[in-house]
Amino acid sequence: MKRTIAGLALALAAAASLSAVDFKAILKEIDAMQDFGKSDYSAVYNIVSEKPGENPATTQIKIFRRDQANQIVILIQKPDKQKGQGYLKIDENVWFYDPDSGNFAHSTMKENINNSDAKSSDFKKYTFSDDFDIVKTEETRLGAYDAWVFTLQAKNNEVSYQKIRLTVRKDKAIPLKEEDYSVSDRLMRTTFFLPTYVPVGDKLIPAKIKMVDEINKGQQSVLTISDVVVKKLDDSTFTKAFLERAQ
Amino acid sequence: MEILKLALRNLTRQKKRTILLGSAIAFGIMIVTVINGFAGAFVINISENFANLAAGHVFVQGVEKSASGRESDIIRDDALLMQAVKDAKIPAKYISKRSSAQASLVFAGHNATLAIDGVDFSRETFLPERLIFLKGGLDGMKAKDGLIISEPIAKRLDVQPGDRILAQLKTVSGQQNVGEFAVAGITVDTGIFGSMAGYANKAYVNELLSLRPDDYQLLGVYLPSLEGTDEYGRALYEQVKAHAAVFDRDAATGDQNFIRAFMNQGKTETWTGIKYRVFTLNDMLAQVKQIADALNYAALIILVILFVIIMVGITNTFRIILYERIREIGTMRSIGMQRGEVRTLFLGEAGFLALAGAAAGLILAFAIMAVVGMINFDMNSPIFIILRNGHMTFKVDPLRMAFNVLLVGGLTLLAAYFPSRNAARLDPAVALRTVK
Repeated sequence: MKRTIAGLALALAAAASLSAVDFKAILKEIDAMQDFGKSDYSAVYNIVSEKPGENPATTQIKIFRRDQANQIVILIQKPDKQKGQGYLKIDENVWFYDPDSGNFAHSTMKENINNSDAKSSDFKKYTFSDDFDIVKTEETRLGAYDAWVFTLQAKNNEVSYQKIRLTVRKDKAIPLKEEDYSVSDRLMRTTFFLPTYVPVGDKLIPAKIKMVDEINKGQQSVLTISDVVVKKLDDSTFTKAFLERAQ
Repeated sequence: MEILKLALRNLTRQKKRTILLGSAIAFGIMIVTVINGFAGAFVINISENFANLAAGHVFVQGVEKSASGRESDIIRDDALLMQAVKDAKIPAKYISKRSSAQASLVFAGHNATLAIDGVDFSRETFLPERLIFLKGGLDGMKAKDGLIISEPIAKRLDVQPGDRILAQLKTVSGQQNVGEFAVAGITVDTGIFGSMAGYANKAYVNELLSLRPDDYQLLGVYLPSLEGTDEYGRALYEQVKAHAAVFDRDAATGDQNFIRAFMNQGKTETWTGIKYRVFTLNDMLAQVKQIADALNYAALIILVILFVIIMVGITNTFRIILYERIREIGTMRSIGMQRGEVRTLFLGEAGFLALAGAAAGLILAFAIMAVVGMINFDMNSPIFIILRNGHMTFKVDPLRMAFNVLLVGGLTLLAAYFPSRNAARLDPAVALRTVK
C-alpha cells in the first residue's frame, strides 16, 4: 500500500514537473539557435557518404543563408563532376541549376544532395515550432546528457517528414538526435548531432552531424561544418546570376 | 517504239556486263528499301507497344497547384472527363485510371528504381491479358500489397515471388514515405521499358501517395488502333477545354520538344483547383518519329552516295559501249538514223537497265524482309519494344518506293547522258572509218 502511494506520488511529481516545462518554448529556442535574424550566414559542409560495397564519396557544398528573407543558396563545390550545380531558394520557390545545360529547373528542398543522406532542407534554419505540433514528450538519457524526447507531428505537408522524434538536451536547447519518420510511420533516418559545436556569436552550430539511413542498412553520411561566417552578404548572392557565375 | 525495242535487245548482247551493272543498281535499291521498311514499322511497333504499356493512346493528367507553388498530379472528380470522352465521340476500347509512384526498392542490401503503376485490376482486364509471367501470377495481387515486377528488376533485387520488399517513395506533396510490397509475380523483360513495368493495386499506391481512394493521376483512353490518335486527342482537348481549365496545347506547339514544353507550362502559371493536360501517344513519341525520319534521311544519303559511285561505273561502261559500237553507230547514221534516235537508243538501254535493276532490288528487298520477319526473337530480347509479337516487321511506303526508283532511274539516265550525246554527235564517215 505504501509502495503504491509512493509510486503514485512520484508519478504525480513527474507529471507536475513535465507540465511545468514549456516545451513549445524549448522548440522555439532550438529554432532560434539556427536563426541568424538580420545577419546572413555562410558555411562550408563536407559530406562523406558511405554505402555498403562502395568507396566513400565526398561532397563539399557551400551554404549561403538570409533567414530574414527566407533565401538560401546551396553551391556544390566537390566532386568535380557536380561542381557548379546548386540550389536557389527564394521564399517558396526553389530552383536547381546545372552548369552543363545552363538551365534552371524547378525543384524542392526535399531533394537529397548528390545521393547523400542529407537533404537541401537540412541546411535551412529550423522551423520545428512553426511546422510541427508536439504530440508527446518523454524523458531519456542519451550518452552523458539528460534529454527530452519530443514526438512532433507535421502541421502541413511542406516538410519532408510527417513525424519527427527529436531528442534535446535538458540543460541547453540543443538537439542530440533526430529520428525522421515516413507518412506510414516507419523510421527512415536517424540524425546524430555530435556534441562538438561551433560558437557563432551567442549561437552554437553542431560541428559534426551523422545521418544514418534506416531503410538502406549500412548507408550513412557524415557532415562536417567549417568556415562559418555570419555577416551581411551581397544581395546578388541570392540570385540566379550568382549561381551562373560561381564555378 | 522500234528504237526502244532495239535498246532492249541491245541489253542482252552483253549479258555479263548488263547483269553486273543491274546488280549494282539492285543492291542500292535493296539497301534503301529495307531501311525504309524498317523505319516505317519502327514507329508503329514502338507506338503500339508503348500504348499497351501506358494503357492508352490519349491521356489526361490533372495538376493541382498549392499556395507554395508545388504541383501535384491528381484527378479527383472525373465525371467531367468521362463526359468529355463521350462527347468527343471517341471509340474507346477501354479506359485506364492509374496512379504512379517512382520508388526506390530495397531488399536485403539490393536496390532498384522502379515506376510503380497503381492499377485497378478489377476494371483493367486488358492488362492481365498482356502480362507474361515467368514466375508467380495474378493470384498474388489479391493481397493489397501485391507487386508485379519485370525480370531484370527481380534479378537486381534477387527476389522471388513471396518476398517482401520495401519501397521508398514520395507522396504527391513530396513527403517521404515507405511502403512494403509482396512480390506477386515476375514478368518478361519488355526491353527498354522494363523499369516501367511495375504494377500494384491502385488502392495501396494511392495510400502511399497520400491520395484518396477514388483519386488517381492519369486517365488513359485506349483506341482500337493508332489511327486517329491525333484527331481524337484534339477532340478530347476541345471538350475538356469547354468545361474546365486546361493547359494550352497550342502554346507549346512549335517547340522542338513539344511534350517537354507542354509539361513545363505549369511552372510559370498559377491557378486554383485542378488544371488538365491532354496529350497523346504521338506527343510522347515525337522523338521516336524523329529517329525514324533520321533513318529515312540516312537511307536516302546512302542511296545517293552509292549511286554516285555506280554512276561513275555506268558512265565508263557506256563510254566503252560507245567505243565498241562506233562502227555500228556509223552504219546506223549512214542509213538514215537521226542523232536524236541514236541518243534515245543509248538512253533507252540505260533506262531499261535501271528499271530491271530496280525491280530486282525491290524483289530482293521484299525477300529479305520476309525472311527476317519470320525470325522469332526471344521475348527477353532487348529489342522487344520495336518488335510486334516477337517478330520484326517492315512497312514500305509505296510513294517512297516509287521516289527511290525514279531517283535511281534519273541518276542512271544522267550517267549515260554524256556518252549517249557523244554517240549521237559522231560523224558517220568518221565512225565508219574508225578501226578499234
